[in-house]
Amino acid sequence: MKPSLMNYITFVNLQRGSVRPLKIRLLRTKRSVVIYLLTLISLGGMAQGNFSPYSQMGLGDIEDGFYNRTTGLGNTGIAYRSNRFLINNNPASFSELANQYFTMETGIRGSFIDYKGSPVDIASTQSGDITFRRLAMGIKLTRHWGSSIGLVPFSTQNYEFNVPYDIQGSGTEIANHYYSGHGSVNKVYWANSYEFFHHVSIGVEAGYIFGQLNQKDIIQAGNGATQVSTTNDINLQNLYMTYGLQTYGNLGKHWQWGIGGTFSPRADLLASYNKSVLDNDSVSLQNNELQQRYLSLPHSYGVGLSLTHNQKFTWVADYRFQDWDAVKSKNVYPGQDYAIASSERGSFGFEISRKKALYNSRVELSYFQSGVYYGNSYLQINGEQIKDMGVTAGFGINSLKTPLAYSITFQYGVKGTTKNNLIRENYFNVTFNINYGSIWYTKGKKFE
Amino acid sequence: MTLFKYPGKKLLFFLSVVLFLGTSCQKQPNLLFGNSYTNDNNGANIVVVDTSTVLLSTVYTDSTSTNGTGYLMVGSYNDPYLGNITSRAYWQVSPPGSLPSLSPINDRYDSIGLLLFFKKNNPWYGDTTYSQNYVVNQVDSLYQLATFQNGFNSKTVLPLDPDSLGETGPIFIFPTQRDTLPYISQGAGQGDTVKIRLNDNLGKQLYNMVYSLSDTLKNVTKWLNWFHGLALSSKSVLNSGQTGAIYGFKDSCVMRIYYREAGVISTQKYIDFNITNRGLAFNHLYRQFADKSRPGTALDQLKLPAATVQTPPATVSRLTGNAAYVQTMTGLNVKLSFPYLRAIAQRPDYIGLLRATLTVRPVPGSFSTQWRIPPTLGIYTTDQNNELGIPVPAIGLSGAQTGNLSLNYFAPLTTTYTYDVTAFIKGQITNNASNATEQGLLLSVPSPANTTDFRRLVIADQTYPVNQRVLLNVYYISLFPHQ
Repeated sequence: MKPSLMNYITFVNLQRGSVRPLKIRLLRTKRSVVIYLLTLISLGGMAQGNFSPYSQMGLGDIEDGFYNRTTGLGNTGIAYRSNRFLINNNPASFSELANQYFTMETGIRGSFIDYKGSPVDIASTQSGDITFRRLAMGIKLTRHWGSSIGLVPFSTQNYEFNVPYDIQGSGTEIANHYYSGHGSVNKVYWANSYEFFHHVSIGVEAGYIFGQLNQKDIIQAGNGATQVSTTNDINLQNLYMTYGLQTYGNLGKHWQWGIGGTFSPRADLLASYNKSVLDNDSVSLQNNELQQRYLSLPHSYGVGLSLTHNQKFTWVADYRFQDWDAVKSKNVYPGQDYAIASSERGSFGFEISRKKALYNSRVELSYFQSGVYYGNSYLQINGEQIKDMGVTAGFGINSLKTPLAYSITFQYGVKGTTKNNLIRENYFNVTFNINYGSIWYTKGKKFE
Repeated sequence: MTLFKYPGKKLLFFLSVVLFLGTSCQKQPNLLFGNSYTNDNNGANIVVVDTSTVLLSTVYTDSTSTNGTGYLMVGSYNDPYLGNITSRAYWQVSPPGSLPSLSPINDRYDSIGLLLFFKKNNPWYGDTTYSQNYVVNQVDSLYQLATFQNGFNSKTVLPLDPDSLGETGPIFIFPTQRDTLPYISQGAGQGDTVKIRLNDNLGKQLYNMVYSLSDTLKNVTKWLNWFHGLALSSKSVLNSGQTGAIYGFKDSCVMRIYYREAGVISTQKYIDFNITNRGLAFNHLYRQFADKSRPGTALDQLKLPAATVQTPPATVSRLTGNAAYVQTMTGLNVKLSFPYLRAIAQRPDYIGLLRATLTVRPVPGSFSTQWRIPPTLGIYTTDQNNELGIPVPAIGLSGAQTGNLSLNYFAPLTTTYTYDVTAFIKGQITNNASNATEQGLLLSVPSPANTTDFRRLVIADQTYPVNQRVLLNVYYISLFPHQ
């Protein structure tokens, strides 16, 4: 077992007989962490969300980022394991957490998007936002059993656009449809993994998907006044399971290898619809709960590789696939003039970890990451499957003075195309991850 | 113990602020991405129905209040749609409050005349190029209201002395040219003031009464019992093809006795008998409905009241030349009925009314600079009794609607009155009462023009082309059932 930073800290303080100073330090740190978190979350709440024109289709923009240690690796990490960070790319990874170790992570992303294409008004082509992306906690319950709970986005919807509309029955009059859709579907999960034979770890993540998409269609008069508004609320919920497997070992004295796989079986999201119509005096004309439907999420597969040299250089590669074609016939997603197609994503990452030997252990001080990715999304519009590709670069530091670790990741990507009257988003993301770790209170009982 | 010094908190805070400022300053892009992909393309829409039947009827009120209107309406004209209309004015005069002291040596009676004033904005209607001949008669009975009579109306006739007090030759009045001029400088028939020379016998009699300071002149009651009043009529006989006109003189007319005061230079003086009891001055209107020279047109089949007390009858447009007529002063108003309005609410996609507008178009060719249409036209509710109800309010606006006339003589089809009838239609479109189809709207000239203005409107019914008839646009909110 590799000595972890927290083991080291605990070791140092126990040796010095000064547990109390550590507690004081932790209290101070907790306070500052809370302040930072609250500040950032509130700032994120204040900022307006970026428009995502493709989010009006299907279930919205399905999240493919993990906002963890692997963000700088192009979100590549199915085979990645860490004794400090929560690698929710694969539920089998939590067995790697350091013993008696409790950790908490949060991720916040700032995103700038430049929109291109004929549907974009050249007078206004950019937007930016800050959003809270992840909150997770993990703990090593026993020597081989790691567990984590967390809240992550599953999909988001955020679009607004105007469409002039000929009033039916009138040859000359035009009204304006102002369409908007906002909302998010999130996943709360509880993942457990168990290590066998020191080289195999299996994991199960029980997720519960829930959320609401709020869509509005407001018909406006020439002066912008609302004449009719239709609100369509879609509530989505159901269980979503993910299974993971990791095997790993050493290749000689200098190399470690890892292979990982994930599988999420098909799940049917229960979609409840509520449609309400208000007239220009905000009088409710109709408020109906429509028939519930099931929207199928397909089988999802992922495989990954990792190779580490001298605990310093790590190469990782992932391939993920979602078989949307198989559920196409079973799904009637809202909207039209687009198709659901199987999605896939390939990514590759490289990491340099800077470690220092302290008290017979190697403690990680900082790391640098880079990655590339390329994928086809699950949307096919006007014959074009929406592609998403980009590069990432990240830098992280693990404080020895406090139980915190920070990372910042820069991501530049291109999503979509300007062909066939579509929109291309050139986006630049900056992601902050903060990790907090502490020794779990065990009344002196130790696993090892 | 500090092993490494990382700028953790400061760096984090700095980057956070930079991120926040950078993103919060951004505005959202304007995307025209089309609605075909949206998840909510089955939202409510607006549908307009402009094919709902509007039935027109001409409602005839056989008498209208014409007293105290401020104008003495006199004349006659032939309307190609509404036939011949004649108006005669009645009013009373009273002697001056202080009678002059006349000298039998120095003062000498000269003449007596009636002065009528027409100002530029006074009402008039018809062909002003046609000369007028006015005749003045004295009322030959007591000029007073009967018991339980509240006022005089357009049907009131007072007996007249068959011998006229005076009359004019052919005169012309130019109603739009200028305002009134000092009448002293004008001769009869010039400008906008009319002078009518009256019978000198009456003049001398009144002069002598003034000289003798007669009690009849000092006591108004005695005076009105002796001199009941005056009536001014048009003597013109309109032949077929001739138009004629009616003018509205201000009710400030004067019966004036002229006399001369002797001196080194003789001076002209006068004694004025001004109009009195203005509230009792009234206009008698007479309509010859059927223009016999044009059989089968207009109002020859108009339903007239058959009983003394009866609600105003309505005549469907089919019987009145496929048109309906508004001339409120002569008792004509138009009722609009919407017999199939409920069919809109019964459409499967109907979920509510958004708004409703009514466009009223005069029949092209029915109006011109001569046959002017009312500049304001009120809209009121009505029911099976065809009575004038309350004004229909426009949504979001206060005050009664008057049609927002868009007048274009060169492009008559673009001449319209428009109304917001949302409030009425909203109640009517789901009205299941047995008399629902008899409830409707009444177009009527609003006060005060309803008693002084002869300008009329001819409205086409559904037999006319779409762009010429009354149009009801019902904008409703449509939502097709879907799952």
